[in-house]
Amino acid sequence: MQLGRRQQVLTAGAAFVAMALSLAACSSSSSSSSTTTPSTSASSSSSAAALSGTLDGSGSTFQTTFQEAAISAFKSVQPGMTVVYGSGGSGKGRSDLASNVVQYAGSDSPIPSSEASTFKGTVLYFPVVIGPITVSYNLSGLSKPLNLDPKTIAEIFEAKITTWNNAAIAADNPGVTLPSTTITIARRSDSSGTTQNFTKFLVEGAGSAWTLGSASTVNWPAASRGGNGNGGVASIVKSTPGAIGYVDYADAKASGLTFANVKNSSGNYVAPSPASATAAADSVTAAANLTFSAIWASGAQAYPITYQSWVLCYETQSSTNVAAMLKAYIGYLLGPGQQLLPSLGYAPLPSSLDSMATSQLSKIGM
Amino acid sequence: MAAVTGQQNVDLREPKGWRRTSNRIVTVLMVLAFVLVIIPLGFVLVTVVAKGISIISVTFLTSQIPPNVAPADVGGIWPAILGTLEIVGLATLMAVPLGILGAIYLNEYGGRGPLGVLIGFMSDVMTGVPSIIMGLFIFSIWVLHFGYSGFAGALALGCLMLPIVIRSTYEMLRLVPNSLREGSYALGATKARVTLTVVLPAAIGGIVSGALLAVARAAGETAPLIFTILGGLTLATNPNVFSGATTALPLLIFSNASSPYVGAQARGWGAALTLIVICFVLMIAARLVTARFARYSR
Amino acid sequence: MTTVTEAGPAAPAGPAHPLDQRRPLGDRSFQILALACGLLVLVILVLIAVSTSQQASSWFTTEGWGIFKNNWNPAANTYGALAFIYGTAITAIIALIMAVPVSVGIALLLTEVVPYRWSRPIVYVVDLLAVVPSVVWGLWGILVFAPWLNTIYAHIGSAVTGIWVLGPLFGPPTSGASFFTCGIILAFMITPIVTSLSREVIATVPAIDKEGAYALGATRLEMIRGAVWPHSQGGVVGAVLLGMGRAMGETIAAALVIGSSPAITSHLFAPGYNMPAVIANEFGEAFGLQRAALMGIGVLLFVITIIVNVIARGVVERSARRKRGT
Repeated sequence: MQLGRRQQVLTAGAAFVAMALSLAACSSSSSSSSTTTPSTSASSSSSAAALSGTLDGSGSTFQTTFQEAAISAFKSVQPGMTVVYGSGGSGKGRSDLASNVVQYAGSDSPIPSSEASTFKGTVLYFPVVIGPITVSYNLSGLSKPLNLDPKTIAEIFEAKITTWNNAAIAADNPGVTLPSTTITIARRSDSSGTTQNFTKFLVEGAGSAWTLGSASTVNWPAASRGGNGNGGVASIVKSTPGAIGYVDYADAKASGLTFANVKNSSGNYVAPSPASATAAADSVTAAANLTFSAIWASGAQAYPITYQSWVLCYETQSSTNVAAMLKAYIGYLLGPGQQLLPSLGYAPLPSSLDSMATSQLSKIGM
Repeated sequence: MAAVTGQQNVDLREPKGWRRTSNRIVTVLMVLAFVLVIIPLGFVLVTVVAKGISIISVTFLTSQIPPNVAPADVGGIWPAILGTLEIVGLATLMAVPLGILGAIYLNEYGGRGPLGVLIGFMSDVMTGVPSIIMGLFIFSIWVLHFGYSGFAGALALGCLMLPIVIRSTYEMLRLVPNSLREGSYALGATKARVTLTVVLPAAIGGIVSGALLAVARAAGETAPLIFTILGGLTLATNPNVFSGATTALPLLIFSNASSPYVGAQARGWGAALTLIVICFVLMIAARLVTARFARYSR
Repeated sequence: MTTVTEAGPAAPAGPAHPLDQRRPLGDRSFQILALACGLLVLVILVLIAVSTSQQASSWFTTEGWGIFKNNWNPAANTYGALAFIYGTAITAIIALIMAVPVSVGIALLLTEVVPYRWSRPIVYVVDLLAVVPSVVWGLWGILVFAPWLNTIYAHIGSAVTGIWVLGPLFGPPTSGASFFTCGIILAFMITPIVTSLSREVIATVPAIDKEGAYALGATRLEMIRGAVWPHSQGGVVGAVLLGMGRAMGETIAAALVIGSSPAITSHLFAPGYNMPAVIANEFGEAFGLQRAALMGIGVLLFVITIIVNVIARGVVERSARRKRGT
């Protein structure tokens, strides 16, 4: 029968929609396309019950690389579970957890007191990663990395030191001929826990030389260039001769940047590395709830710009399945997951912290 | 009797002097305007194609999203493609009919009355709301109660599309000559029938093109999705648009492009190329549909 | 004799029924449906205004009129938003100055100059401009466009230093990511929508008016001024307002290319900040007063959009009234 024009359009539309839906259904059922996942060296120890369900998390972007690697490795441990980590920033993670739209959050700093009232129960802190923040720069013709002390770094980032051959930098590096290139400051355009911890280091290490305070974003000098994410800052440093910026170690390593040795509280110039980060974390005493700060830690080999990140979740869960899934996943992050860290550019937790965190796992329950 | 007294010499050549010059200048300016548009478009497309084409393959388009550190030849972007198609499709299904009906109200029923003026004015104001505010709005209204889902993303994108569809449909409906309506009324049709069967088909070309612009805008928006769909799917796909976190192409492009890992960057640019191709195909398809079905073509 | 029954002559038809009373249910319910959809806009807008104002209330109460100070500093917990209001205004103005002539020019090109056969490819090219997602504009802007513009800005900046008006406007400090770059990218993004709508509006000018103008010996420019413009100016202004709304509300592209430096400066080539960009950049890590301040900036943007729309409509009304002669 001859369809009228309107019927033709409707039929075509319905056919299109039906095709699209069947396409979606087909591919989701055949989504078993495997990708090479990093194999975990440790086998899952206990005969854990097979869990199923979804765990949603969001928060710190510092943790994102680790979370992604852990999620893909965790699939072989608990194939029935789907874990999702949506990053978005520590503040977003904490507020998502407070509003209960995610089951766990990643945060680079403890919950501030002004926020504490928004949480509907006790929150457990599980430290999961430690990592150095590098001071990366782009300067050709130098045979070894520069030494910088906190006061010099503060003056560079406040644009008080404008060329590389400044006396303060030369004082830290006797015998090195510094070029007269102008310094270009590279910093974050988005707010981040990396900025928060880097400026915390400057406040504690440089004292009165740093006037901009410490927050997830500060009022950088107007001549500085902003990059989006650690990768953005890294690419500014990489492409601009004479640039200097703060990039976390994993991303700086991935971009092939040169990092400076930073003077720590004991007076030694230490290079950023997983080992020096763990040394910093070793000397820290955690509070009872496992919060601490590894910035400007004491220790002869400690890297002074080391920071940390926690996974947060509520102590009391509304469902036994969610509690079990959280224990399984966070337990994985604290256990076999720690082996993934060095190759990704993070430092594993010191074993004392790790065991304290693992024993806290049993607190998650109904 | 022809009054052919001293036949005046009518100068049929082009007007002299400033009138001709200004006419020529303006024509050149108009062509220049078009050229000015082609240049950046060309650059953007060349950049996206150059960075993205090498990674595109059927495997890429149908594989799961790997962790960021994975090299470029591992994994793909299928969950993001599915997410974009589902979320944008749902948003279009919601916003376009509602927008057309709203514009019908404004043009046919509301008119100059205070409510009509207010609604028209407010829908213009709504186009100025930052897309991130739409996302935050849906977050507080929907996500806080029902969790992250593709549907929440569709709501946010639909809110973004609604004022554009209303305004463009309104402009098109306004241009349909009144004689059409009056003729139909004279034949005894009710207002609803006139609007649906006479006025709408007359304006359908402009309406569809306005709706397309809204869809293209929605497909490329990142900020509203950050707060409504969570993203972050690694080696997982969520085909259910009504529950559970999902991801979409713009979100993937944004997070991957600021990553320092070469593989992630390549996947991000591949996703950008895919998104542009999808939107372009939709645009072409819809323009062809209008050409075929529009009753009044220019 | 006729087999057709005829109505008696002039028989009274009975009391006249107003059409309203006999309107079929479908017709009435369609009207209600259309009204409901129209009201949906108001409802959504009111909900947005209410929910964002609620979350922003602590900022308004803490800062009071200080929200208009230029002292945005999260480290010091002060949040005055003047720099962002300035940035939004400047970038929107730059975008409109560049986009509107170009868009109207292309629309006129398509309707008046180019033969129909060539207009289709041109329309597709303009559509392609709309198809590029905003995040790609932002990434291309910051990775490719801004570095290239940086060298151009540097040349212009050094050339005009010290000159009377040009120096403060275009002189140093210059940076690839700046107000001007953001304005250019926004112009690219709003061109398709303004072009498409303007073209649709201009294309429906009655041919009679145009032919009449030509018959009187007008050049194309004079015909456009005399026949096309008066008929389509309202629609074009509507299209421009739509473009302006997009320019002021565009988030991701602005966040990537504007330079992220809250500053009020006349130097257009200097890095700056605008309202959607600061919300996008700082929301992920914000809490407490900062979060309220960011939501409050969203509320401020509403208010500004309302004010600008009122002014624009007032101007159109006044000129239309003048043309009508009332």
